[in-house]
Amino acid sequence: MKTDHLIDVLARGAGPAEKPRWGGKLAITVIAGLLVAALLVAIGLGVRPDIGAARMPVMMKAMFAALAAAVVLPLAVQLMQPGRPLGWRIGAVLAFLAICAGAVFIALMGEMPERRWEAWMGGAVPWCVVLIPILATPTSALLLWLMRAFAPTRLALLGAAIGAFSGGVGAMAYAMYCPTDSVAFVVTWYVLGIAVSAALGAVVGARVLRW
Amino acid sequence: MADEAHLKGLLLQGLAGDDAAHRAFLTEAAGLLRAFFRNRLRGAPEDAEDLVQETLVALHTRRDSYDPNYPLTAWMYAIARYRLIDFLRRAKHRVTAPIDGLEIGDADPEYEASDARRDVTALLNRLPEKQRRAIQLVKLDEKSVREAAEETGFTESDIKISIHRGLKTLMRLMGQEQPT
Repeated sequence: MKTDHLIDVLARGAGPAEKPRWGGKLAITVIAGLLVAALLVAIGLGVRPDIGAARMPVMMKAMFAALAAAVVLPLAVQLMQPGRPLGWRIGAVLAFLAICAGAVFIALMGEMPERRWEAWMGGAVPWCVVLIPILATPTSALLLWLMRAFAPTRLALLGAAIGAFSGGVGAMAYAMYCPTDSVAFVVTWYVLGIAVSAALGAVVGARVLRW
Repeated sequence: MADEAHLKGLLLQGLAGDDAAHRAFLTEAAGLLRAFFRNRLRGAPEDAEDLVQETLVALHTRRDSYDPNYPLTAWMYAIARYRLIDFLRRAKHRVTAPIDGLEIGDADPEYEASDARRDVTALLNRLPEKQRRAIQLVKLDEKSVREAAEETGFTESDIKISIHRGLKTLMRLMGQEQPT
């Protein structure tokens, strides 16, 4: 088929295009992903027993995770469609990471020198690095499927953004279980858990997002 | 870029339902894409033309992914570059024939359409029956969507959805098929 003929075929009876409505779909996706992750925590891990007394730290940790997700979201949305500039959206992610590093440093300086290591490492194996990416999968699977429909062209980068965003959502649910409340611990290991989720997203996205 | 405003106007008119404007957009885009791909695939004009066709189908089926707040050419070339990278990745996985008859300095400055290597008509025949039929009636036999609906017994929106899905499948087939 000649190219001119193909153009005729494509244009004939094309009619008006539907306006993409992704805002609502995105909101449903995030709520669904969060609910599934919360369910997984409640059934698989169990909510921390002192949740009533520890309402404040749990809320703070969930808010921190939500903030991390919110910082990555503009980047993901921008990467969803071809040829849109990234600009400050990359800067926002880097600024967030810098603030996190500063917060960890200040929190550790506030501890007695001999207690710093424990405050940072939490005194146990930081399972959140494994559990946050697992809890991110419901959201990331839905998002990969949703965003594939929008002609993304930088697949690994979008996959990473989806992974990081989903990691933030997963960490919100994880906060219900996580027994450690030290600022230095939470900021360090939650961010690392989200980073692992982003790396997985980049690898999976490069394959799954192809169209 | 000089073409930006003009091309953008055509695409937006097309998005609003003006088929003639959409046709003009695709025609002008084809010229730009041909130059783009031939510059990057020197000595393989058929491959370049395959990519022009593939990208045109991509631009058409994904035209709703264009956001008018951003430059149109950035959108178009992002898709073109994506198709090119996909093509090169596919090419890596197949045995390449020696490039006989490669002549440098023979580029046609007019960038006239050469024949594409692959036959889109043959690919259309590989679509699922419902999609193939909808495309055949409306796109090739030049019937209206309503006539196609009456002839097949499907609803009009069914026909439209089948065409859209069929063209998306077509683009996937264009990407999968291994030219020999």
